[in-house]
Amino acid sequence: MKRAAIKPIYISMGMFAVLVGAFTAGDGNFLSAYNAQTILNAVAILLAVGLGQTCVIMTGGIDLSVGSIMSLVSVVFMLVIGRLGAWAFPFVLVVGLASGALNGVIVSRLRIPSFIGTLGTQGILLSLAYLLSASPLSVPENSYGVVDIVNGQVGPIKSVWMIGLATFMVFFVLQRFTRIGRGIIYIGANERMSYLSGLDIDKARLVSFAMSGLGAAIAGIVLSSTLYSGYPSIGGVYVLNSIAVVVVGGTAMTGGAGGMLNTLVGALIMGILNNGMTVVGIDVYAQQVFLGILVIVAVAVTFDRTKLAIIK
Amino acid sequence: MSEAILELRGISKSFPGVAALKSVDLRVDRNEILGLVGENGAGKSTLMKVVIGFYRADEGKYLLRGEEVALGGPDDAIRAGVGMVFQEGCMVPNLSVMDNLFLANERGFARGPLIDRKRMAEAARAQLEEVGLGSLDPRTSVGGLPASRKQMIEIARLLWLSKLYGSENPVLILDEPTTVLQESETEMLFRILGELKKRASIIFISHRLEEVVSLSDRIVVLKDGVVVSDLERGKADVPSIERLMVGHELAAEHYRETMQAGPRGVVALSVRDLSLSGKFEGFSLDLREGEIVGLVGLLGSGKEDVCRCLGGSEAPSSGSISIRGRVSRFSSPKDAIAAGIGVIPIDRRNEGLATSLDVASNINLLVLSRMRRGPFLSPALERKSALKWISECMIKTPSPQTACATLSGGNQQKVVIAKWLAAEAGILVLDHPTRGIDVGAKDEIYRRIRELSAAGLSIIVMCDTLEEDIGLSDRILVMKDGRTVREIPCPRGGKPTPLDVIGYVV
Amino acid sequence: MSDTIGSRGGMGAGIGTALARARVSSFISRGMNGQLVALAIVLAICAIGTGGMSLSPKNLQTILSLAGIPLVICLGIHQVVLVGAMDLSTEGVISLCAVVAGFLIKNPLTKYDLGFWAVPLAAAIGGLAGLVNGLVNTKIRMPSFIATLGLGWVAQGLAVVASRGNSIKMLDPSFQLFTNGNLLEVPNTIIVALVLGAILFAIQRRTRLGTYMYAIGGDEALARQAGIKVDRVKIAVFAITGCVYALAAILLISRLASSNPRAGKDLMFPAMTAVAVGGVSLSGGIGGALNAVFGTLIVTVLNNGMVLMKISPYVQNAVNGIVLIVAVALTIDRKKIGIIK
Repeated sequence: MKRAAIKPIYISMGMFAVLVGAFTAGDGNFLSAYNAQTILNAVAILLAVGLGQTCVIMTGGIDLSVGSIMSLVSVVFMLVIGRLGAWAFPFVLVVGLASGALNGVIVSRLRIPSFIGTLGTQGILLSLAYLLSASPLSVPENSYGVVDIVNGQVGPIKSVWMIGLATFMVFFVLQRFTRIGRGIIYIGANERMSYLSGLDIDKARLVSFAMSGLGAAIAGIVLSSTLYSGYPSIGGVYVLNSIAVVVVGGTAMTGGAGGMLNTLVGALIMGILNNGMTVVGIDVYAQQVFLGILVIVAVAVTFDRTKLAIIK
Repeated sequence: MSEAILELRGISKSFPGVAALKSVDLRVDRNEILGLVGENGAGKSTLMKVVIGFYRADEGKYLLRGEEVALGGPDDAIRAGVGMVFQEGCMVPNLSVMDNLFLANERGFARGPLIDRKRMAEAARAQLEEVGLGSLDPRTSVGGLPASRKQMIEIARLLWLSKLYGSENPVLILDEPTTVLQESETEMLFRILGELKKRASIIFISHRLEEVVSLSDRIVVLKDGVVVSDLERGKADVPSIERLMVGHELAAEHYRETMQAGPRGVVALSVRDLSLSGKFEGFSLDLREGEIVGLVGLLGSGKEDVCRCLGGSEAPSSGSISIRGRVSRFSSPKDAIAAGIGVIPIDRRNEGLATSLDVASNINLLVLSRMRRGPFLSPALERKSALKWISECMIKTPSPQTACATLSGGNQQKVVIAKWLAAEAGILVLDHPTRGIDVGAKDEIYRRIRELSAAGLSIIVMCDTLEEDIGLSDRILVMKDGRTVREIPCPRGGKPTPLDVIGYVV
Repeated sequence: MSDTIGSRGGMGAGIGTALARARVSSFISRGMNGQLVALAIVLAICAIGTGGMSLSPKNLQTILSLAGIPLVICLGIHQVVLVGAMDLSTEGVISLCAVVAGFLIKNPLTKYDLGFWAVPLAAAIGGLAGLVNGLVNTKIRMPSFIATLGLGWVAQGLAVVASRGNSIKMLDPSFQLFTNGNLLEVPNTIIVALVLGAILFAIQRRTRLGTYMYAIGGDEALARQAGIKVDRVKIAVFAITGCVYALAAILLISRLASSNPRAGKDLMFPAMTAVAVGGVSLSGGIGGALNAVFGTLIVTVLNNGMVLMKISPYVQNAVNGIVLIVAVALTIDRKKIGIIK
């Protein structure tokens, strides 16, 4: 298990170094303190949603609804923050968990492929977000303090990074040191064998989707907090980004290999890539082209073809 | 004397650790039905795979119609007029009969870019007539047809393809065709084959020796990768064939018979009238601690399904299973495992292990709950457990972190066994435990089985050969067509010979 | 030797098995029985909900005109599903073709005024995109859903880069006239779609390519064994689908005489739903152009009905999502797909 994770991770780390070098050469501002802060802020968000997506991808599935969950969470967050104050945080985390659980129930109980199931729920959740508020919501004036919990800093360390780190620790511990996390790995590696060995496949799948919802929720909270607003289209671009973060980090879509550490590297790479491309002056949509190609290449490299006899 | 249409001379084929075919000579004459018999593992399927070009022989010559050929694959074979029909049928279920018949070869019916379906249907009807299916509408969907029809359609396809490629006297290989047929359908099949004999040759593989004897012009008996006999019609009867199939016995020590401990203690597993509709019925067994019971039977006997029910992956239609007196209902493998039953599957790589994961993860799969410190898993405890079982089961691996994919078959099997032992399974179901394992490792597995039985585990085993079943077990249950037909004791020092047993099996 | 997913124990198996059995009954079949019934039910519900307004001649015409472009898209996607693959690049490729066509038809930004010739050229671009999809799927051996997902993003990005994010006005009036016009009271778009449907139907039922498509969808391993050049067929199917997307793009931009790089937005979801509702099984080998037609009709009637009943557009999205999930759950062959990931 560790062996499989190490090789791609070295590749990713190498990429990371190369990118930093390239972008710095392209524009000296890249390594400025301000820019580094901007990058790390973005990384925190990418990391949160990516860690969640990692759980699902490790079971061999995919979660196309993470963007919608982020959007829903951002809207709900803005709506309840006035009334619940700091309790808004746990409240929306539960919303994220519930959304993820919905995905899990649909995929595992109805036994339909995850990409279709989450395609369906993505529509449902987005609808919900729009129903709650079609137009952008801003943070109510008296709740600035709450939001600044996220935006603030303790000493020189920004809260956002600590949240990112804390999220990473939670997911890392889950993957490495809990039975359910281990179950996710077993199922991704060989679902048939796991079933015959008595592992509860449905439960593991449910948990993986719930964790994805949690990750998306955390990302949504951070994003809305930094923007001081929430709106239904906020999460749109994060589906692509979350998948990119996972596969670029070296986790295989076939499941059972890779992990949270890979996603951490992947988030750093994506953060740098996104920021670097903007700094160097590459068009936002040209960036999308690169991302698409990057995802295809990363998947092609990490895909375990021995696992699937027929590639559909 | 009719000229040989197909000849194999000195064909040898080996796989890592196993010599499947040793200098086999096989001749198929024009217009004859050749019966091919042999036990499981005798080499029949390997031989046929060489004939249809799926395997390349390591040594030897392959002649078709007097000329040496080198087949690049099954397509070449079919073009040369040699094809195999599998009992499950090889047809795309959502297409029609005629679509399947002419699949990938519709050029003859094309009018521009379109297919002339009327002409296709006519040609289909003509071809189907040859196999007695003249009344079948070629536009029917294959999916709903019974196995007997599907087989015939496949035969029709092979005949048509050989006509298309101009190969005279095609060779049709039928692999256990009668297993899926009713008696009336079998009669019809034999009638058709009798007709087809006039312009084709047929290799008929079957375990049903009476059928083979009545249908074949010649019978070839294969044992341990060698042709032991080539009998003309009239010179062979069922008993003599049985004798040839099983041949000599191996030394008692091969299966560590001296270590055979025999049943002791209480009844660990009690099965009463277990049935699974369509597969088996009325299976009963009282398995005591330390006892090894072998389930013997051909494909279709139901023994694999019995084991699946015991393992929880299939729910029986009726009957009961009790573990140490407590009646249990298995609705999934989890229940069976909780009851202490462990199944070591025939397909290690896909059902026994996660080959991409390391040895330690595979061994500890079932016992992670014991490796916790507080709410979290402790890598130290995991490592300790892995090392313990690696040494106990003598698994040869560079480290607990090595990926299972790199281990040899024998060591992989040991990892699977270790997994269940770690989970303290009291009852083990071993499905072909030594399949694909070299001789040295086999011995280690036999020893292990003896040790486990001595320690009080109850074991149900299904082996590759009758010999192995008899050698390992305290008694064997012979199953045929879903029922237990005979129980034969195999005590230490008083083992029956495979010959004694085979009569009940086939 | 593998047990069906449905035979696993627990509540999940209950629903899964029940759905598997329901699937076998009428919703999936060569015939259109299930679809006809579903269409009738949906029409009835909408008629009741709107007090009969949904069945007025004017509204029926509206339904037909609404269904045209989604039907074209659905006809594109369903072919890929038929061979057992998936195409998630729809939105990106349509956007790209829209931009390309926008530049080729008389417009204020470039000097091209190719009129009708923009159609085959745009189709070439769409076909090229489909070709790439097919190549990545068959030669690089990447599962189609991620390959097409990635390519869709690439295409979308290219569309925006090429157009610099701006809309392109269409100065050639003939396109708009055609697309918004009728022939004997029937909207031209639906006629185009039905003609396309007829062509694809003919391909599926009457040509070798069609037979091979069904064979591959039915059992890819067997098809390969029989000698069918599976890779070539798949690539061809992806390419044809790409051309179909281009057609949809042109119809789209002709409506409002303006092309924009987000032309494909939100188009895949209803088309995918139409595919599933029409009875084209995600496991492949079952269904055809007729299913696409019915599926699109059902989805269009449903959405039109919801609009007439003044149901919020956001609820409509949710309803579509639920319909998609249910339709897939009913029509998928779980034994074939094996492990559900």
